[in-house]
Amino acid sequence: MSRLKIWLEQTMMISFAILVGIILEGLVYCIIDGAPLASFSLSWLQLLSVVLTGALCSIPTVFWLKNLECSKKQFIVRIILHCLGLYVVVSLFGLVFKWFTQISGFIMMTVIFFMVYIFVWIVTLWFYKREDSRINKALEEIRDEE
Amino acid sequence: MKVLFEKVDSKEEEQAVIKAVEVTDEISGAIELLEGDAKSFAVSKDGKVYIIKASAVYYIESVDKKTFVYTKAGCYDTKYRLYELEVMLDGYFMRCSKSMIVNLKKVRNVKSQMSGRIDATLLNDETVVISRGYVKEVKRRLGIG
Repeated sequence: MSRLKIWLEQTMMISFAILVGIILEGLVYCIIDGAPLASFSLSWLQLLSVVLTGALCSIPTVFWLKNLECSKKQFIVRIILHCLGLYVVVSLFGLVFKWFTQISGFIMMTVIFFMVYIFVWIVTLWFYKREDSRINKALEEIRDEE
Repeated sequence: MKVLFEKVDSKEEEQAVIKAVEVTDEISGAIELLEGDAKSFAVSKDGKVYIIKASAVYYIESVDKKTFVYTKAGCYDTKYRLYELEVMLDGYFMRCSKSMIVNLKKVRNVKSQMSGRIDATLLNDETVVISRGYVKEVKRRLGIG
């Protein structure tokens, strides 16, 4: 898979996950405040910030995928660094684009971030599993008999 | 392209005739695929030289500038470099990492690891690693890419 394709795929996946997270956050606030759900809205700047965050967060992933083969210990270290690196990026974007104005908003964003991170991993692993299944099916047709 | 199949009674009578305007990549691939089993090359073990059929090979590995060929019967070394064998064998033989060529016909199954690498279990229960970068080519060779 070309790097550009991986980058676009990751951008779409992360942007979508962040958007779902923000919408859920908005709905939770609406319910807590007792405001009508229709009062929740997103500005074009917020949508743009979501796509920009997705695009930026995808860059380390593209390079991450380039040299993935490593030991289990290295893999754990890399995944922690990757997660924390993205958390810093998302937090900075949140601050700049005013996704949160209070500490409660920041905590909510942190929860959403880790949910999104786990979601992206689950989807990626699902893609791998589906790919394995397709390859194994094709291998069955050409396999030598022993 | 129209494909005809005619049943024959013995292995000696088996042949394939391809009639085409020109030799395209697909036709070259088909020729290489059909010739695959007939290909053989020299290997050595304990000072003795053997000729082995390509179809007997599980995988080929390059270690410290030496090339080792693995079959069900054991491990042999060969004078050929990995890139030469890659050209010679082709078909279902493909590079799965910088230092290895695997025979896809000898792969029992593949399993992706969380780290991104793919473990391929061979028919002799050995496991070789397919680098993520070669997955696209694996799928292309298998006709699913």
